[in-house]
Amino acid sequence: MFKIKDNRGWLGVLPVVLIVSFSGVVPLMAVVNYSVQDILDFNTRFFVGFQWYQETLQDSRFVEAFLRQIAFSLSVLSVEIPLGIVIARGMPRSGWLASLLLVLLAIPLLIPWNVVGTIWQLFARSDIGLLGVTLNQLGISYNYTANPVDAWLTVLAMDIWHWTSLVALLAFAGLSSVPTAYYQAAELDGASSWQVFRYIQLPRLRNVLIIAILLRLIDSFMIYTEPFVLTGGGPGNTTTFLSQYLATMAVGQFDLGPAAAFSVIYFLFTLLFCWIFYTSVTANHD
Amino acid sequence: MTSIQIEDLQFQYPGGNDPALNPTSFEIKNGEAFAILGASGAGKTTLLNLLSGLLEPTSGLIKFNNVPVNRLSSRDRNLAQVFQFPILYEALSVQENLEFPLKARKFDSVFINKRTKTILDHLEIAELRNRQIRELSLFQKQLVSIGKSLVRPDTSVVLLDEPLTAVEPRVKWKLRDTLRQIQKEQQLTMIYVTHDQTEALTFADRVAVMDQGDILQIDTPDTIYRLPDFKFVGTFIGSPGMNFLSSESILSKTPKPEGTQEIGFRPEWATLSSDLKGDFSGRVKTTYLTGTTLGAPSGITWVSTNSGDIAVKGALNHKPKEQVGINLKQFLAFRDQKRLTELSSV
Repeated sequence: MFKIKDNRGWLGVLPVVLIVSFSGVVPLMAVVNYSVQDILDFNTRFFVGFQWYQETLQDSRFVEAFLRQIAFSLSVLSVEIPLGIVIARGMPRSGWLASLLLVLLAIPLLIPWNVVGTIWQLFARSDIGLLGVTLNQLGISYNYTANPVDAWLTVLAMDIWHWTSLVALLAFAGLSSVPTAYYQAAELDGASSWQVFRYIQLPRLRNVLIIAILLRLIDSFMIYTEPFVLTGGGPGNTTTFLSQYLATMAVGQFDLGPAAAFSVIYFLFTLLFCWIFYTSVTANHD
Repeated sequence: MTSIQIEDLQFQYPGGNDPALNPTSFEIKNGEAFAILGASGAGKTTLLNLLSGLLEPTSGLIKFNNVPVNRLSSRDRNLAQVFQFPILYEALSVQENLEFPLKARKFDSVFINKRTKTILDHLEIAELRNRQIRELSLFQKQLVSIGKSLVRPDTSVVLLDEPLTAVEPRVKWKLRDTLRQIQKEQQLTMIYVTHDQTEALTFADRVAVMDQGDILQIDTPDTIYRLPDFKFVGTFIGSPGMNFLSSESILSKTPKPEGTQEIGFRPEWATLSSDLKGDFSGRVKTTYLTGTTLGAPSGITWVSTNSGDIAVKGALNHKPKEQVGINLKQFLAFRDQKRLTELSSV
């Protein structure tokens, strides 16, 4: 007796495979193809091997943008994750107030990204913006278009305003899965608020926090629209992140070969960070 | 340890139509094993949550050692509780879980070591000491939960909310005995909530039987069984429960207390005979073998009579469809669902 293997199930995933091929794999192949060629116009191209990769990695503007990008991602993660947890912990578990807060939290997530940039661009202007004018009235010299530190802080504040809600909503969902008896038991044990968080809530939040950190890591690493609208990468290049430098290269200067090599490197780094993070947190855990 | 006084305690959920607990007063003695028994929805958990401070009484007083504790938080009432399912710190080891309540109350480390060891030995889980909680079986986790509830020496009351639900039937007995032994040795005041009459009757010094928000009767297991105050208690306790028959149709020749509407008798208070000369008669419906008495098969015989089916416990001498006479040794008289008198002998 032998078993006939039923492979018809593969047909079920065929649509997904096709869609992903056209939306992801085919463009990626095109980019990889471009990255090893020097393209003068559509009919004139030369194979250059890894020359663009070498040049990109040696390009000081790329390295600066890359370091800036890492600093940015780490900064927003280190604020958004704890802040999101604090907000979620402070929310009531149910009732009208919980519903209201959930809606309020969702609002920044529903605003188109370029609008977020515009909102902050106006809000922070030192001549007419509420934030900018208020700060200057309080005697704090603030001008995000001229001062790199101000520009950085404004971009960070904007991203935190925009995305902390996501972490808070995920953490709220995670906290809702803790049965009330656990809190009751902790109360009887005389556990402190910190211990309740550390030993009851955090273990339960673990999985949603992994997702939250991954999402925020990927998104913040690819941030483009909001700083583009807010600061345009300035003053100077102080808020030019990887994606913006890439766009300048590809769309502004039409350097398709180097831009393609840049894209591939960018993609691989994003993938690498996510992989390092994911494998390190899921190691030693069943 | 602590005695508990309940005075006119009542509770109604906000927006609820009927009170979850009707006004009640009783006392739980210091060092007593007290069981609260009832079907689900009877109000057992409400009463337990009132004691633990999770719910605030609508009216009435709860006193520990005659001091009102209504306004004290759960933590300040110095309670320990075992829940229906194991509630532990999953990220910690067994030892760390047991230490947790002690460390939170600032006991010194020498004492903590000694105490946790004693508890682990008592529950015979010393070998689990350094294991992580997630490596344990459900039963082992519940053992650790019980251990955690017993670990503090200054606990006022230990509340057990259906603690053996998650436990395999074959170890239930053993665990109940262990609990009972620790309770006796340490003179703990323990309150044991259950829907299982066997658990309640074998565990407790006294049992409170609840139904629909009322505490119907608080007595020793023996009295609850022999002298149920209410028809509900009679039918709820025992397997099968007490037989009830209307008083007119049967026993016309037997003197009954004035005003008797129904008589109740336990299945073992009656015997069957073939001569039809008993107090009344009926026809055997079915028989169930439950064991042997002096080598002869014994069990439950269901007999249908003019006023309903009754169960009789004892030797299985009669076959289905046989006409039998039923002799009562003793019975209880009831009126309006309430017991009228002490046992009446026939």
